Amino acid sequence: MLRARSITRRFGATIALDAVDFEVAPGEIHALLGENGAGKTTLMRVLVGATRPDAGSVTLDDIALRPGSPRDALDAGIAAVHQSPMLFERFTWEENLALGGRSSTADAARERAARLGFELPAPGTLVEQCALAERVRLELMMALGFEPRVLILDEPTGVLAPSEVAAFLALLRALRDEGRSVILVTHKLDEALAVADRVTVLRRGRVMASMAASETGAAELARLMIGELSPTHEMPSHLGHAGSAQLELVDVTLNEHGRCILDHVALAVAPGEIVGIAGVEGNGQAELVEIIAGVRRPTAGAVRTRRLAIISQDRDLDGLVLPLAIWENLMLSRPLVKRFSRAGWIRRAGAMRFAGVLLERFSIRPSDPNLPASALSGGNRQRLAVARALASEPHAIVAHNPCRGLDLAATAEVCRALTGFAAQGGAVLLISSDLDELLALSTRIYVMNAGRIRALGADEREPERLGILMAGKWR
Amino acid sequence: MAALVKSLAALACAFALIAIILLALGASSVAVLGALIEGAFGNRLAFTETIVKATPLVFTGLAISIAFEGALWNIGAEGQLIVGALAAGALGPRLGSWPHPIAILAMLAGGFMGGALWGGLAGWLKSARHVNEIISTIMMNFIALQILSWAVHGPLIEPGGAYPKSAPIAAAAELHLYFAPSRLNLGMLLAVILAIASFVLLYRTTIGLRLRALGRNPRASRFFGIGIGTLTVGTMALSGALAGLGGAVQVAAITHRLYETLSPGWGFEAIAVALLARLNPLGVVPCALLFGALDNGSQAMQRAAGVSPELVQVIQALVILILLAFDAGLFVAHRGESGFGCTLPPAGFEEARDA
Repeated sequence: MLRARSITRRFGATIALDAVDFEVAPGEIHALLGENGAGKTTLMRVLVGATRPDAGSVTLDDIALRPGSPRDALDAGIAAVHQSPMLFERFTWEENLALGGRSSTADAARERAARLGFELPAPGTLVEQCALAERVRLELMMALGFEPRVLILDEPTGVLAPSEVAAFLALLRALRDEGRSVILVTHKLDEALAVADRVTVLRRGRVMASMAASETGAAELARLMIGELSPTHEMPSHLGHAGSAQLELVDVTLNEHGRCILDHVALAVAPGEIVGIAGVEGNGQAELVEIIAGVRRPTAGAVRTRRLAIISQDRDLDGLVLPLAIWENLMLSRPLVKRFSRAGWIRRAGAMRFAGVLLERFSIRPSDPNLPASALSGGNRQRLAVARALASEPHAIVAHNPCRGLDLAATAEVCRALTGFAAQGGAVLLISSDLDELLALSTRIYVMNAGRIRALGADEREPERLGILMAGKWR
Repeated sequence: MAALVKSLAALACAFALIAIILLALGASSVAVLGALIEGAFGNRLAFTETIVKATPLVFTGLAISIAFEGALWNIGAEGQLIVGALAAGALGPRLGSWPHPIAILAMLAGGFMGGALWGGLAGWLKSARHVNEIISTIMMNFIALQILSWAVHGPLIEPGGAYPKSAPIAAAAELHLYFAPSRLNLGMLLAVILAIASFVLLYRTTIGLRLRALGRNPRASRFFGIGIGTLTVGTMALSGALAGLGGAVQVAAITHRLYETLSPGWGFEAIAVALLARLNPLGVVPCALLFGALDNGSQAMQRAAGVSPELVQVIQALVILILLAFDAGLFVAHRGESGFGCTLPPAGFEEARDA
């Protein structure tokens, strides 16, 4: 039995955890629910000893764990899979596994992966060449290598394809049936309800409720999480489209190291359209975005577009420069810096005023444009990235997983922003691994697998069929 | 503001540690520090000599600051200074018939171009051939030193001279010493102007913004259409040019000719100066003055207090080690921004912001 008693943790003037009690029994899947910033990650870090609490204690079978000692927690049998992969980029995945120690050899991992229905990368692949989803799976492999009694998973399904999620949840059940405790940190209600035995809801650092999953429902949990009725996703199902394409991909092909990453990708996005690309992470989406952004050259084919804005999937790594001020991050957009500079001199006052207005309009908090972007929470960082894209007055927007890791309210806002942009005649290419998002927003959908895309028929717009297509079973 | 506090705290810690060392050696720290301060600021001549000693450190410190802001780890300010000095020292003797202002400008242009060539080469190697700039700039220091040695033994040796030194530069190419016998000259003025210009470049122009973005997140920079290759070569060339100017000023104002031992290691000391200044160009000036004062006071300290002048190097090293320890979070509860602007938010930071 893992027990955390009255854990309190402050960061400066703010309380991240306020006298939180939390316990997990062996053979139990415990979902820890909460919106962005509710304190889930901090609690998880306290449990694994990565963060030392200001007050409170963690015990495993009534033996106290030394606060702030990851070693102690690991030795006791608490292992975690983190939200952002903590791997050594320049090592191969096998080397990373070996660093995990104990029974985590490549062979054991391969065997385990086969059992779970995963595919591990080719032997000798460097982690930096792995897709996000592959990295998360590697982290799971590393954690399992410790044969943990308590396994903590922080938003593990975020990057998994729907077909993988079911298998993943089945795996969690198998781990539970072996007598392990599994803590699932998530904000996805359906998953929590589908797999968890118990559910604990955190809001603003406090435990709102802790109960058996069978005694509650999605509506109640949503209310507990956000403290109000969950915002409804009102998405226009069809937007008109007219005129010539604002973004056109002409047989974009990319070959690298003898591997075909993109294979004659051709599509066009007209004004007023939101075209979705569904697919499991690592099937060429990241490369496609880079080619559209002009960061990478295709082996063959062309991208035709006029004014384009990109909303990158990884706002911290690709979208923003966190140590720079918020207003400076806005000025990184070419059209914006052109507007607020003359002959290479930045008109600071004007840029700052503009940033202030923009922060107000998109209700980004804190709204001081002089603060570094790192001062913003994840949801607010994404709002900033979206605000910058819209403010640059593009003809087309390419959004890659724009709602990843966002809570319900922020997700709804991003979706509203994209549909609003399309309604005013903008063209949107939405590349996502979230089917709900794609089905709710897109006027047309393509499915991507192994670098190829295929248009989705009107009668195929349902998750089951999509899952089959995303697995590449159309050929 | 926080940066200033950090730097001052590091200085205070360094001096406290030195006091302990002196105590262990049985020396009086009051007497030693007194001698050091007396030697650096005790009279007009000592004071002006501190400024003279600090001048090349401002140039090289700015070179380091600008490069490090872009996460270009230029360890080659020493070599770039030498090549700049070499260019000025080779031009100098040939400028006898030129009007004074033009001759001075020619000397400075020579230093600028020489340093820019040496720094830009390392930048080009990085962007075109993926050569790590730390390795290339360190190695190019040795190459520069050997070229200087060869030049003063060979092609540039003073006609009829027996020692390895070049012919003196023409009088027209000399920077005036306005307060003789003090060696005070216009070099420091130029250095301060360049510090202000560097600050403006970094914080008020689109190029500076792109450079700082590149230094903090090269991955994201690609998505903003920042020409990373051009920026890398340009920044390294500018960084080298600043160091090269320092070399040219030294030749024009102080040495008036080339020697093998032209630089006592200003290019390396500059790294400490720039880090203490937290890479802020305006901070480089006071930090260089501090290091210049330590250098200048060390001889007097040896005479008056009988302490080895190497003690000053210990102080300088301690300052940097303590600063790095601050950055690594050894003395604070949470990790924050590390020294070179690469930021990891502390644990729970985001949640705390929302809560």
